[in-house]
Amino acid sequence: MFPKVPDQHKVGKPLIPNGFGVIYVLFTTVYLFSVYFMGIVDSSNNVSAPLTLAVCILFGGFMGLLDDWIDLKWRIKAFMPLIAALPLIYFATESGLRTSIALPLIGLIQFNEAYYFLIIPIIVMIVTNTVNQLGGLNGLETICPAIVLIGLMILSSSYLLMIGPIIIWLVLAFFNFRGKIFVGNTGSFAIGMTIASFAIVTDLKLSLIISILPYVFNSVLILLTIFLLKKRANVTFDGKTLYSKHRRSLVTLITYRRFLTERQVVVIISLIIVIFTVMAAFLEML
Amino acid sequence: MLEERILSNEKIINGFKSLGQMRNMSRASVICYSALILILIVSFSVRILPMRWEIPSGTLRLNEFDPYYQFSLTNQMVEHGLLSPYYPEPGWTNEQLWYPEGLDMSRSLPSLPLTGAILYNVVSFFGVDIDLMSFCAILPAILGTFACLVLYFVGKDMGGKAVGLFSALFLALSPSFLQRSSLGFFDSELPGIIGLLLFIFMFLRSIDLKRSLSSSMLYSLGAAGALAYFILGWGAAYFMVNLTVLFVFVLILLKRYSQRLLISYSITFGLALFIATQWPYISLNYLVSFAILPVAGLFVLLCLAELLRHNISSKTKIYLTIVAVSATVGTVIIMWQLGYMGSIAGKFISVLDPSVRSANPLIESVAEHRISSWGYLYYELGLSILFFLTGVFFTMRNPTNRNVFLLIFGCTSLYFASSMVRLLVLFAPAFAILAAKGILGLLNPFFALMKETSITVGKSKRRLQRVSKEYGGAAIALLFILLVLSLAFTPQNGGIPRALQQAYSPITLSSGSLPIAPNEPVNEWLDMLNYTSNNLQSTDVVCAWWDYGYWLGIPGNVTTLADNATVNATKIENIGFIFMAPENESIPILAQYDAKYILVFHTVFISQASETSFVAGPGAWGDEGKWSWMASISGAARERIIQDGWINENKMWYDENDFGQLNTQTGTWDWNTVGRDSTIYKLMSWAKQLYTESPAAIAASVYPDEVAVEPSYFKPVFISGSEISPFEYGGVIPLVALYEIDYESYYNSPS
Repeated sequence: MFPKVPDQHKVGKPLIPNGFGVIYVLFTTVYLFSVYFMGIVDSSNNVSAPLTLAVCILFGGFMGLLDDWIDLKWRIKAFMPLIAALPLIYFATESGLRTSIALPLIGLIQFNEAYYFLIIPIIVMIVTNTVNQLGGLNGLETICPAIVLIGLMILSSSYLLMIGPIIIWLVLAFFNFRGKIFVGNTGSFAIGMTIASFAIVTDLKLSLIISILPYVFNSVLILLTIFLLKKRANVTFDGKTLYSKHRRSLVTLITYRRFLTERQVVVIISLIIVIFTVMAAFLEML
Repeated sequence: MLEERILSNEKIINGFKSLGQMRNMSRASVICYSALILILIVSFSVRILPMRWEIPSGTLRLNEFDPYYQFSLTNQMVEHGLLSPYYPEPGWTNEQLWYPEGLDMSRSLPSLPLTGAILYNVVSFFGVDIDLMSFCAILPAILGTFACLVLYFVGKDMGGKAVGLFSALFLALSPSFLQRSSLGFFDSELPGIIGLLLFIFMFLRSIDLKRSLSSSMLYSLGAAGALAYFILGWGAAYFMVNLTVLFVFVLILLKRYSQRLLISYSITFGLALFIATQWPYISLNYLVSFAILPVAGLFVLLCLAELLRHNISSKTKIYLTIVAVSATVGTVIIMWQLGYMGSIAGKFISVLDPSVRSANPLIESVAEHRISSWGYLYYELGLSILFFLTGVFFTMRNPTNRNVFLLIFGCTSLYFASSMVRLLVLFAPAFAILAAKGILGLLNPFFALMKETSITVGKSKRRLQRVSKEYGGAAIALLFILLVLSLAFTPQNGGIPRALQQAYSPITLSSGSLPIAPNEPVNEWLDMLNYTSNNLQSTDVVCAWWDYGYWLGIPGNVTTLADNATVNATKIENIGFIFMAPENESIPILAQYDAKYILVFHTVFISQASETSFVAGPGAWGDEGKWSWMASISGAARERIIQDGWINENKMWYDENDFGQLNTQTGTWDWNTVGRDSTIYKLMSWAKQLYTESPAAIAASVYPDEVAVEPSYFKPVFISGSEISPFEYGGVIPLVALYEIDYESYYNSPS
């Protein structure tokens, strides 16, 4: 049923079914509809949080499908998530969410109206794209977002919104890590959109910002080398381990002149994400 | 000859034969027409939902205020002849409105009342027993559904049957159009939208070079009729006229001029403007207004384009261009200097430049004149905005003549809708077609994919060149759920379909002018109107804020001073003054208008004071929410009112801030001594006081939030709502209070 693509980091490049992210999107939609119908989460000022999340995740998923199919240009991919920011902006304004962010050492930054019309779209755009950019290794595109999402869920009182989706995502992550399936762009865009929209709906901006710092670092590294050096990150696979001769992304930075297996790289990056997520939780609880 | 060819016997017989061949219709056509019928049924059903609140009374009423004005015209046409409001000149003046001058009804646009009266006569001829008001109430639902049918054909021309179907569906469920075409909304937008859609449909067909010249000319004639109907139905016809002018101009710029364009344009505008200007109210002045002159300018340009098309020397072409441009500009300048050029009414200017509205509290006080914020647009349109944007994208990629028109229509109507909430109804058809094109543009590749066999060719890394057909199915499923979320479970409205929320609410009179949807009708306003029509003389002048003018003057059958026609701003300022001034300052001006009664509408909120008692405080939906406009509108005429000697300079206010201030803690208004001395305050608070002294309120231990002072010169005659239980409408009490003006006490008082 699912299209098959070669696993680049396995001997013989076996064909692996791709696009399992669509299962996550459909399941999450059904789950969020159920949450809405059962009234588990109250509507905030008559705006439904579960349906707002469903809209955003569906949009993320659809964007991923389009990308899988027509290979969207990066310009379009970068700005497309802005459309999904609209329901979130409406939710934030109607719910009167805080428009300030308290940053350690800096203090409280009050954005006022700019939070709704500038910060939320930027958050959605950055999170969705950076999550999409950190992938390419079995488990990387599933385990790391799961860590961030679990961190946010622990900090939020509305964790029920994400219980179902995180379970199905962890199942996908398990098979992805074992090299049995890929979630595709559908999955990575959808989970990126999930993280961004859940953080905004539950007002966990600071935690989100800190948790995704490794993602941002990875994207900055990739984009700078593309724009400044006109070169792309590339990791060499010798049949058993990964190795890179440059440092143009987080993966190549970790494998720079080091021979590491695919799983080792995934575990290292996941640990980095865990560290940042714990930091975020710690700061949120302060 | 032309008609003979079009309507020949042979063609008619073939038409009937083709009906018999319907059994051979393709499955796709059957599905398409079934879907269309279903959409039309949904469209009609949704629009008559407010009937639920009308059933108990056994009759249908009209919604809001303006439809009563249209109804009175229709009634005049049915009873005294279709042209009776206009001929013989000077036409019919309704003496019960805008006393003492009366309201010149011959200055009304005829499309809607004529449509209503003609159709009513037709159904009566066939023996249908229905009263005129019920007929006028149900007509918007029928015309709204008809508009969806017309849009299907427009959409079909623009992108096929599927686009037509989606367009019709989007328009059927568009909240802004739904509001203006649901039960009882018998107002000018209806002929406007129908005229607009028919015009678009026929004009675009008329310029289609694939059609024969005779067909093109027939469509031009049809377009002319539709445009004339629009011009004679709704003032917003300026929009359609200028949109078409802009469209044709763009076609010329794109080097798509054709002789057909000149012929269609000439016939359409020539005939439409000829028909429209025959109406006394429109008259020939319409042709020289700023908004209509571009039609003539473009005609000159088209003629020039036709001349330049011929094989003449470059030198001649330059001369011709210079002469044409000079003649056009010169004519405009001469007409302007000689004062022949009319201007556009203020409210049309204010649509182009919304900032003008803030300078005029009279225009600004009308809720439907508000600027649409992005939030409101999202609230109305929901996630369909995504489809609209993709529709714009796909349309831009294929700039055919129809698509160019659609883009201009979409962009300009979006601007006007952003400028004024009411004009969202103009945007609705453009939005519907573009959103439909967006959905189809997104779906089509995936549909095509599903028809192909699975191909699993890998590209670099994990990207795919081609994906399996199941992928197409998944994409279609996701789009379907997105569509469901945008139409059926709208997140911005707590999951309730926005269309349903818009439709499933009682008409204003049956909800007592409250924004609630109770189980039973709220009868307070109806009781008041029954009281005035049964107990007062039709010549008795009742002073009320202009919002209620039509209600009191038409179903209430009394004489009123002002209404939504807002034809006399000075009088509205004076009414504002009457309400905001102290009693003894109000009486002389009331006497000047021969007012016998004064009416206020006050809503009261009941809130818990202790375990056993409740407090009655001011609500938000009556005159307690409108008095600030009375203050600012009358305050804007401060100098005139002082000069007229109604009040001295020290006592005259500027705006609402002279009457107190907003309590930011409680969100309520804290009246100062000037405010407490105003007529409106006394009339409202005394009505509330009387309510708290009613048996129902005493039984429930309801006390007023503050003790009111009885007005000195206004004696309560009838307070509708004064006997209802405090909790009948969920703690909101609508009080419609009618006071008789006690001139005797005033003139006998020692001061």
